[in-house]
Amino acid sequence: MILGIETSCDETAAALVTGGGEIRASVVSSQAELHAPYGGVVPEVASRRHLELVTPVIRETLAGAGATLDDVEAVAVTQGPGLIGALLVGVAAAKAIAWSRRLPLVPVDHLDGHVASLYLQPEPLEPPFLCLLASGGHTMLLDVRSYTDRVLLGSTLDDAAGEAFDKGARLLGLGYPGGREIDRLAGEGDGGAYDFPVARVPGLDFSFSGLKTALLYAVRDLDADAVAARRADLAASYQHAIVRALVERVRQAAERTGSERIAI
Amino acid sequence: MLTLAFDTATADATSALVDADEVLAERHSRAQTLLEDVDALLRQAGAHPRDLDLLAVGLGPGSFTGTRIGLAVARGLALSLDLPGAGVSTLAALAAGAPGAVPVVDAKRREVFALVDGEPRVLAPAELPLEPGAICVGDGARRYRALFEERGALVPPDGDERHLPRARFHARLAGRAGPVEELEPLYLRVPDVDA
Ligand SMILES: [Zn+2]
Repeated sequence: MILGIETSCDETAAALVTGGGEIRASVVSSQAELHAPYGGVVPEVASRRHLELVTPVIRETLAGAGATLDDVEAVAVTQGPGLIGALLVGVAAAKAIAWSRRLPLVPVDHLDGHVASLYLQPEPLEPPFLCLLASGGHTMLLDVRSYTDRVLLGSTLDDAAGEAFDKGARLLGLGYPGGREIDRLAGEGDGGAYDFPVARVPGLDFSFSGLKTALLYAVRDLDADAVAARRADLAASYQHAIVRALVERVRQAAERTGSERIAI
Repeated sequence: MLTLAFDTATADATSALVDADEVLAERHSRAQTLLEDVDALLRQAGAHPRDLDLLAVGLGPGSFTGTRIGLAVARGLALSLDLPGAGVSTLAALAAGAPGAVPVVDAKRREVFALVDGEPRVLAPAELPLEPGAICVGDGARRYRALFEERGALVPPDGDERHLPRARFHARLAGRAGPVEELEPLYLRVPDVDA
């Protein structure tokens, strides 16, 4: 079994996975609440919390799998990209475990980790495929040609799609992180109520900062009661604009690469 | 009783392997290469990780990232080898290596970490209480040499080894050992939140 450790941003995570891609245990401890009062991830706050959580999360993972470190054959750890102080906590703990047990230590690129999640059981995907990676931290299109070869086709020039959701939520007075709240509210609103433009940037890159500004202006033009009354429409239109931009780009990328399969 | 001691809170990272009172090996490097040093210490002594009985870990104060690297390594080793640990203040270890001297660690932002009435504190170097003729050691003493000398204190030459925390003293100062997860870093400052 392989012990995986990830501390690149605001989640302390560990997992035990077999060579065949079966997840025996996976523990993710989110720090979202810790950062909520600051309206974003504070690197030093994140690093301090990773130190507190890193070994409890690994112990919980082992317990969840009914395993001990004696069952571990290799240690894999996110080496970047991410918050440097946060990454160093995971790397230091992983190195210590690997060194003390004479196990191989495998440094992993965070993005490869995202892509590799598609290779796990129960329904592993085999390359090649086109991959849209959209999260709180990234928005990118990857042409995954094989298990070891991927090409970045495009990425966001400013905010990640998830960040755009969170920032939009803040403008709508939904708190931080409020991306989920936008999604929920959007279900009650009309996605065509407002026509929010998404910047068309060259190539296959994304840009969401203009969209955020458009929402800011729309909210500014309304008084507090009107914002409250139209909040669902604003959320639905905003979400619609983000999703439309993502879908458009995926379609363009699929045409360009001739990909027959798309992973999101 | 084989003790592995290390402190990565300052730019002068230190590690040592101590058997009872005998220092088997000691090294100096950087926080990021701590495990390479630990590996070399054990090889030098012909020991295996499983032979270790105790960890003595520097808790700072010093660089946040450096301090965390040492504690994360300690947590990993403790989990892996089922080892207890004892925490030692970086200032206390500096003081033990320079009896009678005032330990001063550079805290950046024009401040230093030092002991005031025996308690670790962060303060401006000009505010550090100093007896006339006091000897100041540590990277904070080196950095603010002119200021301390002007105040009547003595700062040994930069190359003097009393300026370096040495892990042999962490091993010597290690008090009652307990779970390593209970050891807390001495940050002494709240996080900077204007991200
Ligand atoms: Zn990610």
